[in-house]
Amino acid sequence: MKGLILGIVGLFLLLSEPAFSGDIKAGEARYAQNCGNCHGPGGMGLASYPKIKGKEISYLVDRLNTYRAGTKIGPNSDLMIMMAQPLSDVEIANLAAYLNAQK
Amino acid sequence: MIKKSKLLSAVAIATASFMAAPSHADTMNTPDISAMSIMNGLENPWDMAFTKDGDMFVTEKCKGLSVKTSSGSVHALAGMKDSKGYASTFNDLFCSGQAGMMGVALDPNFNKNRRIYVASTSNKYHGSGCKTNEERCDGNIVMRMEVSKDMKSVSNRVDIVKDIQYKPFESNHPFGGPGAHNGNRLRFGPDGYLWATTGDRHRGVVPQSPKLLGGNVLRIDTDGKAHPGNKPPRGFDKRMYTYGHRNVQGIDFRPSDGRAFTAEHGPWQNDEITALVNGGNGGWDPRPNVGGRGDCPDQYCGYMPNQKEGMLPAKRAQFMPMSDTRFSDLMPPAWNNNGLSQGTGSAAFLKGKNWGYWEGRMAVGIMGIGFGGTPSGMRIDVVDIAKDGKSIKSVIHMPTGLTKRFRGLRLGPDNALYAAVDEGEIYKITATAK
Repeated sequence: MKGLILGIVGLFLLLSEPAFSGDIKAGEARYAQNCGNCHGPGGMGLASYPKIKGKEISYLVDRLNTYRAGTKIGPNSDLMIMMAQPLSDVEIANLAAYLNAQK
Repeated sequence: MIKKSKLLSAVAIATASFMAAPSHADTMNTPDISAMSIMNGLENPWDMAFTKDGDMFVTEKCKGLSVKTSSGSVHALAGMKDSKGYASTFNDLFCSGQAGMMGVALDPNFNKNRRIYVASTSNKYHGSGCKTNEERCDGNIVMRMEVSKDMKSVSNRVDIVKDIQYKPFESNHPFGGPGAHNGNRLRFGPDGYLWATTGDRHRGVVPQSPKLLGGNVLRIDTDGKAHPGNKPPRGFDKRMYTYGHRNVQGIDFRPSDGRAFTAEHGPWQNDEITALVNGGNGGWDPRPNVGGRGDCPDQYCGYMPNQKEGMLPAKRAQFMPMSDTRFSDLMPPAWNNNGLSQGTGSAAFLKGKNWGYWEGRMAVGIMGIGFGGTPSGMRIDVVDIAKDGKSIKSVIHMPTGLTKRFRGLRLGPDNALYAAVDEGEIYKITATAK
């Protein structure tokens, strides 16, 4: 029984891995489509758009999930909600991995 | 006979076309363009000003004023609150959102009087205002200072304009943070007067207000007093040359006739280039309950009818026009960027034979804003404006090879075009006519 539970937990972790460990290269490509126009190369931050490079993955995922759900946080929320709504879980994970890797 | 004549004509035309082709290409005199980064590692560089000897003053939005001398040394001159390493620091100067230290211009007699003019956000004159977004807030100023002969310090700061409007708090709008829409480009005109642009600061009543400085182009002397020839409507502040603008960040003067032209950022539709008319109205009126509109979020209709998602720019323009034709004193734009808003933010007329047939045309810096299906469009346009200023003859993209947020353009004393980009660099763009 114990072995079965461990097996189920292991399988769950294995299956859920892709959702939490993003692909940096894929994230870079997705970032280039929309995000860089405002946040600049590598998430450096431009003009009144904040720096997002090097942030914790959990923070980035949480923010993008929040915007995707249509919840406002901060003065540019309407813009971010518009940008985040088409994102999939995988794209969010990829973006977070890419931005986290920018130092 | 008729047939032979026709044949000869055809041969003559064909021959002429054949012979004309190469000479036509030669006479076009299209310049070769190259771009080179001359400063990097800056934080939001915003504007530049040059001495005749090639010293370049630079503002950084949240840091302050510096100079890169013609010999290549860089001196930090006037810092904002919390800036480090500047010869002087002014604790009333701050940055927030789009606001901060922005435009810079040198006195036409700089070599003698050493005077420099800088536009910045300041909390020095808030007084009893600025408690809410819906009241007067004097938070943008124009300063005059004197630069030492060794280019290492500034002194004798005098605030010559103290009452340009500022947005103190967040509001329910896209780009809705404090510090929105300040204008703040400074240029001296051929008349020797200082021209200062201002923005609507996300407050509906500001652009058409006779008294509040915001959404205007000001024409003032070097003490901040109105040019005696300004002709705003009766009862308006005499410092206004024009009013009814949204957020003018680009202004320059056509070399052929000295006429002022602005390049202005539209609200998700219609960036505009406009020939200014003394006392004219830009036609921007984002007040609620006027022009067929009802109530709007936080008393500002500038992003309506739909703040939350993309929609056809033409429908936006119909609901909330940049240049509302109900005003009899409207200055119609010469160009509206094909109905798109992509962040038109600065302008400089091209001077010198090195620009070939582009000489006299206007270079326009576009930062690129890709919301709601609008292509981002980071670029510099070269615009050939009609003599009467009411239309353009052509617009092309300058082949700089750069995709950057072009924030500030300025022609240097060497007739090269200098471009400040939000990515933290300044480029020198040179042209060589063939």
